[in-house]
Amino acid sequence: MIQIGPVRRRLLAFGLALGISLVPGCGKKTQSESGAAGSAPARLRIAVIPKGTTHEFWKSVHAGAAKAARELDVDIVWKGPLKEDDLKSQIELVQSFTAQKASGIVLAPLNDKALVSSVDAAVAAQIPVVIFDSALAGGKVSSFVATDNRAAGRLAGERLVKLLDGKGKVAVLRYQEGSASTRDREEGFLEVVKKAPEIEVVSDNQYGGATTETAASASESLLLAKNAAKGGLHGVFTPNESTTFGMLRALENTKLDGKLRFVGFDASDKLVEAVRKGSIDGLVLQNPFNMGYLAVKAITAKLKNQPVEARTDTGAELLDKQNIDEPAMKELVKPDLAKWLK
Amino acid sequence: MTPRAVLRSSWFAPLLALLACYALFSGLAPDTFPGATNLWTMARQTVVVAIAAVGMTYVILLGGIDLSVGSGVAITTVVVAASLRQGIGPAGAMALGVLLPALVGAATGGLVARLRITPFIVTLGTMSLLRGAAKGLADEQKIDADPHGLDTLMSAPLPGEFRLPPGVAIAVLVATLAAIALRYSVFGRHVTAIGSNEQTARLCGVPVSRVKIAVYALSGLLAGLAGIMEYATLTVGDPTDSIGLELEVIAAVVIGGGSLSGGQGSIVGALIGALLMTVIKTGCTHIGLPNWVQEILTGAIIVVAVALDRVRKR
Repeated sequence: MIQIGPVRRRLLAFGLALGISLVPGCGKKTQSESGAAGSAPARLRIAVIPKGTTHEFWKSVHAGAAKAARELDVDIVWKGPLKEDDLKSQIELVQSFTAQKASGIVLAPLNDKALVSSVDAAVAAQIPVVIFDSALAGGKVSSFVATDNRAAGRLAGERLVKLLDGKGKVAVLRYQEGSASTRDREEGFLEVVKKAPEIEVVSDNQYGGATTETAASASESLLLAKNAAKGGLHGVFTPNESTTFGMLRALENTKLDGKLRFVGFDASDKLVEAVRKGSIDGLVLQNPFNMGYLAVKAITAKLKNQPVEARTDTGAELLDKQNIDEPAMKELVKPDLAKWLK
Repeated sequence: MTPRAVLRSSWFAPLLALLACYALFSGLAPDTFPGATNLWTMARQTVVVAIAAVGMTYVILLGGIDLSVGSGVAITTVVVAASLRQGIGPAGAMALGVLLPALVGAATGGLVARLRITPFIVTLGTMSLLRGAAKGLADEQKIDADPHGLDTLMSAPLPGEFRLPPGVAIAVLVATLAAIALRYSVFGRHVTAIGSNEQTARLCGVPVSRVKIAVYALSGLLAGLAGIMEYATLTVGDPTDSIGLELEVIAAVVIGGGSLSGGQGSIVGALIGALLMTVIKTGCTHIGLPNWVQEILTGAIIVVAVALDRVRKR
């Protein structure tokens, strides 16, 4: 009896403490997501797995997915890797959603190969998978929903040709070796400008590198080498945020801002401000909100046995001085997340 | 074991907690959580932490700590992937993969035993050292390589097919051997003796330095084995993988009744601790809890376990 007393006491303490730590979280849960635990089996329950949950980009995706869920009357479970950008946690999430028989999985893979086998296991268990944002190398997926980067690059090319009235010397400052999305944008841009007979591409083999810092110094070298100040260069294109900002800094430093026609990519407060000032003539913007929206639409269509496109372009828009204050563009630069995420 | 011995063992309370959590989540997600598919998925997802926790149990019994486990796992995935890409077969790649963390573990043991540097400091150093080496070796990228069948160690069985994933079998085997060695071998007795009272153990003729070197080498070796399982899951070599894994592993040991001051802890307890964390992680996914709630819960469980460790010692 003397030995059993303390045993009982510690079991009681453990159970009590465990109960206290578990109950508040779970109690809250059961109230907020009623359809989650399978109370109505007919209702579709779609797992949406981003690459992370804290960045602005993913919040826009989440808002878009929430909008689609509301319109289509399905449940979504938004669950990113516990550790931001952690490959293992993402694989485990796909496995978990497979084991619990989610109706469908919508996934932005952190790596194009590492997720193939988990995705195939989900499909083998009769759970369709839609991939968004980044491609998967293989896997039996129902649909791929992402920005068509080549088309986005073409959009930039067309705008630059128009700004230059179809003649002049242009250059592209590439982002980084081995980055597939930006390479597609660069190729799309070059495809268009090379077709314009009086446009000459004077440089297409320089790289800005990973940071704004390296992009700025590469931009300055490029502007100097092509004698931009004396009319050796008329237009430039940069394929992502860091190269665009680096090029902007270089143009400002050499007092060439506003003198060269400049089309960049992605939005940040500083870049949008530069469009307003006229230092940047146009910015190509991706549409993460639409990405989340269309991905959830695609998986729902698949689950309802409706036809699904194998590849959906979520579109890109060109922001310039004329449309900068239009509501649609403002929505793209700063989407109203609170409306959908509340 | 007699029923009374089971009742008194340090892992009995954690086992109850594990069953309670399992029952709780089964109640909250009755359609999906208790099913066989989910049980096997959870078993597979526990393998990496469980194998590393076996090594960590020895280290913690000794009164030490090994913070380099996560980095050891990461560098192993890189070495295995790089070896496979060089055309070295799967067996060779696995051997090379465990070699490096095991050697670093042995060196750690040497520094801890002979120079009397606190293991926290030494392994804090090797944690950063191995992480940097992994990134350098992988050229700061993920390494793709044809897994040559290594992925089947951890892959899910097809629907309807029944087979024990080899990774789970290996983890169970490693744990069983380690538990037997801990209880019945001279080496195991020496480990517990040093952790309980190093001075006394030394006076009684226990070869303290040799035992310490062996234990840290074992921890490194098992981190390497866990790394092979991690590679089997990822199918790429990822130098940024498993950051902070060591904390999960230490938590598993502590939840299972291990004491950071040494001399107490068991393999069975560590496995229960590892399973408990997987159950919480998976359960939260099944009932759709956001990540931040899950993190708070896991933290609460760890604190409760350690608090219990204190209560038990009174």
